[in-house]
Formats: sequence, structure tokens, C-alpha cells
Amino acid sequence: MTIAREVSRRSFLWTLGASGAIGLAGRANVLGAFAQEPSAPRNVPDFTGPGANPYWNSVGPLVAEPQKSPLILLTDRPVQLETPRNYFLNVFTANDAFYVRWHLETLPNSVDLKEWRLHVEGNVGKPLTLTLDNLVTKFKASSIAAVNQCSGNSRSRLQPRVPGGQWGNGAMGNALWTGAKLREILDAADLKSGSVQLQFEGLDRGKGPEGFGSNRFMKSLDLSDPVLDEVLVAYSMNGQPLPMLNGFPVRLIVPGYFGTYWVKSLSWIRVLDKPDDNFWMKTAYRIPDTPGGSTTPDDVKAGKVKTVPIAKMPVRSFLISPDGSAKIPSGLPVRLRGIAFSGYGGITEVEVSVDNGASWRTAHLGADEGKFSFRTWELSWISPRPGRHGVAVRATDGEGHTQKDEMVWNPGGYLWSRIERQEIMVGAAE
Amino acid sequence: MTSLKRFALATAICAFLASAALYAQFNAGFYTLQGPGSIRQTAPSAGSAGASYEIAAYTLYPAMLAAGDGEQEVASYCNTCHSTRYITMQPPLPADTWSAEVNKMAKTYGASIPDDATEKIMHYLQSHYTPENRKK
Repeated sequence: MTIAREVSRRSFLWTLGASGAIGLAGRANVLGAFAQEPSAPRNVPDFTGPGANPYWNSVGPLVAEPQKSPLILLTDRPVQLETPRNYFLNVFTANDAFYVRWHLETLPNSVDLKEWRLHVEGNVGKPLTLTLDNLVTKFKASSIAAVNQCSGNSRSRLQPRVPGGQWGNGAMGNALWTGAKLREILDAADLKSGSVQLQFEGLDRGKGPEGFGSNRFMKSLDLSDPVLDEVLVAYSMNGQPLPMLNGFPVRLIVPGYFGTYWVKSLSWIRVLDKPDDNFWMKTAYRIPDTPGGSTTPDDVKAGKVKTVPIAKMPVRSFLISPDGSAKIPSGLPVRLRGIAFSGYGGITEVEVSVDNGASWRTAHLGADEGKFSFRTWELSWISPRPGRHGVAVRATDGEGHTQKDEMVWNPGGYLWSRIERQEIMVGAAE
Repeated sequence: MTSLKRFALATAICAFLASAALYAQFNAGFYTLQGPGSIRQTAPSAGSAGASYEIAAYTLYPAMLAAGDGEQEVASYCNTCHSTRYITMQPPLPADTWSAEVNKMAKTYGASIPDDATEKIMHYLQSHYTPENRKK
């Protein structure tokens, strides 16, 4: 506020006291001290590109599907929904806000538990058909906090852009999953020698012809993969049954791995005696066999890129609040808050820069919910001189990887994990 | 009836029985059409005490496809496996990326689209959804 305006306000108040009347001109003057003509709301555009999506989330409209809060629509059939940024202030993502990604359009609207079974079949001595009650009562309940992140989370950041689900950063979530240990179920099924992989399939089916990826979605894990010791067949998510869209009645939990393996409405576990060559293993969800999984469009065209199935999630961290949508008065103490996670041994450090990466300060980490969970972080900051300020955040994981400032590019649009930045506008406070 | 025809018939019956067995345990693939607008609250309902757990149909939000030659083919063929929001969600993509996408649908995913419709779909996408010509 300028001195001139302050003086005019005081003289106005004096006039008010003296005359006991409100002059129209004077009223306009006092309102001028704190009000402005509101501007129209600025909506995000309907699509972004060919440049990178500049917004934290994807740009679709908010829609409410059954058992869900309004989430960001990517596609309606099959259903793909993204979690808005503000939900990530909490270490656990609420079930109704948890992102949704199905591959095939014929996805469950109802499940009859009188009929439904989890089948364990294939190269086993004792095939199993388990009811939900069997899973709950015959096996010890285990719980684990684990992040599920879509392989294509942040795909809309890639340059050049690649086709696929144009996710912003919200195709991720963290929940406390409770269920039966996969190992115990396998022990009960008595695996035969010569078994090499486990194949998982849910209730979803597609309209494509048989034998194609557009008809069935199946994912497999190697029997020699140590992650199997952590895998759960979960019937509970944050202490509640799973929403239908997140995999009711049970889904596979593969801690540290991308969401593609976390098969929803899991109903078949097949023990294979040879590697799975179905489309979703052999062709889709593969990353270049290069450091960081990055390559170039030219190398892809030249056929130089060898690929491997996607697996663990690289370290990532996010600033959640402030989100840059509101101006902050200069000199105000502000809490910078966010989350970090990694598929490689949890989070050991989060650093924040308020000068666009020139210098870094260590943030305070929140409660440790386990190495597969989100870890919240916080740093108090006195907003500096008016102007644009670049906030950046980077995390280091248990295996010593620190996020880099490098772009990631591969044709599938996977593994984006670059240092996140947010511009904050600081305004004058007087 | 030739043995080949008998075999085909038997296969079809087996496939039908197999899918009937699969779908006895759950319902799937229900969508309902709803115009855009404000988001309404849903009334709480826990359903019956039986073993069937059901939710309402998922909602269709039809995409606003660009008007032009080939729109009908896109709306009918592409819509078989997925809604056309799969198209409008994409960033503007170069023409050769669109032809690769259409070929992927036909060859990799087995979509049965007649050749002339494939041509029309490709041309439509390349006429409305590239960096040079995408409007909305």
C-alpha cells in the first residue's frame, strides 16, 4: 500500500466519523485498498503439446466414478483417472483419490464372492481355488506401505512427446496394503521343479481378438526375483476393502515395482515352466537396456535399442505445497511440503533449492513408514524479495541414487524421474 | 458338414461355454452415457447382505472429435476397444506417428478394420491431430 493511499484512507475515516455518512466516492477509495475487479478463472487447455505439459497434473476435466472422489479424467473407457496434486500432502493416498489405470474396457462392475475364486494353477502339485474368506483366514495377514506408480507417470513431460496415456505427475499413490504373502500361497500350491515364472491375470477382458494384447492383460515375474518375498495378495487398502476400480476383491502388491505388475481383481496365478511371451511381457512395458532407460528417437529408428521388461521405480520427489497457483507476500514464513519415494531402498535425504538449483538445503523428513512408502518432507522458508523464485527438489535413496536434472526419453514414455521444479511468485508485502 | 466346419463349430461352442463360465462370477464392462456438467454427490448405499459386490456403471464422457471426413470411421472402428478420448487425450503428434499408431491397432492389437477405413482413419488423424493442424 502506498503512503498516499494510506493518507487518503485515514482522511476518509476521519470524514466518516465527522459526518456519519458514507460518500460513494470515499467508499470506492477504501475498497481500493484491498479489492480489485476479480479476473475470470483461467482454465487449463483441453490438451498440451507438442511442447511438454507445463502443468503438474494432466489437463483433463474432473469426473466422479463409483467409489471415487472427483479425479482427473484421462480416458472414460477403459477408465483412467489421475490423482490431483493436493492429495499428496498426506503420506497415504486416500482410497477414493487413488489413481486408476485399466488396459481393457471390459472391467468389473460387480464381483460375486460366492462364485469368485483365486486360482493357482499350472506347474503345481496342488492346484488351488481360494475364496476371499480362504485368503483372509487360511493365511497370515501381512501389511506393507508401498507406492504404486504407473510406468508412464509424467509421460506428458517427454520431448518429443510420445503417444500413450498423457499423465501428469498424479499416476501414483501410497497405501497400507494388507493381505496374504504370495510365498505362503505358493507353498500351499506345491510348485513343481522346472517352474520359472509366475503369471498373473485379473477379471478384465478386452474386445480385441483372442491371442492379442487387446483381449487379455497378463503380467509375469521371475521366480528367482527377490521381490517375490515382499509380494502380497492384498484384500485391504488403508484398512478398507479395495475400491472396484483399484482391484476389488484382491490385487497383487509388488513393492518397489511399477504399477504394471500390480494386477487388479487378481484371479489367476499361473506357474509357468517357460518364460511368458504374451504381448504385455514381450512387447509392451519394456525399457531400453541403457543407463537410466533413456534413448533417442534416432536410435529407436535405427533399431539399435535392446529392451528389457520395466521393473523398479527410480527415485523421485515432488513439491506439493505451495503449488504456485497463489502469490505469496514477501517476508512470510512458508512451509514447503512434499513427498519422495524410490524402489531402491527408500529415501535417505531430500534437498530443496529455492534459487533454481544453485544451492541446496536439506529438508526435514516425516515419519518412516518403510522403504517402499512415500516419505513426506518439509522445509520452512521465508519468502524472499518480490519476483519469480524457482523451487527445485531432489531426493537420494537407500542405494545412493540422487535424482538428476536430465531429461528421460524412451518410446514408451516410461521412467520419467527428473528433478521437479516449481515457480513461486512472491509479491510485495507493503 | 466338413470336418473343418465341425471343428470351427465345436471351437465356437467351447469358447462360448468358457466365456459363460468366466462371466458367471462377475459383471463387467457396463458404461452409462452422461453429459458433462457439475459433479453430483452420490447417495450412500452399501447394498444387500449377499455375496455380490456391485457398483454403478462407469460413465462415458464422449470426446469432441474434430468434424471432417473419416470421423464416422474413427467413431465406429476405434470405439470398439476404447473410447475416442484415447485420440483427443494425445498431444499433437506428427503424421508418421499417427500412421504408426493406426498400424499398431491393426497389426499389434488385431483390430479388424477394412483397408479403405484404415486409410480414412489415418488421413483423418493426420488432418486434425498434428502440430500443424490441431485446433481443439
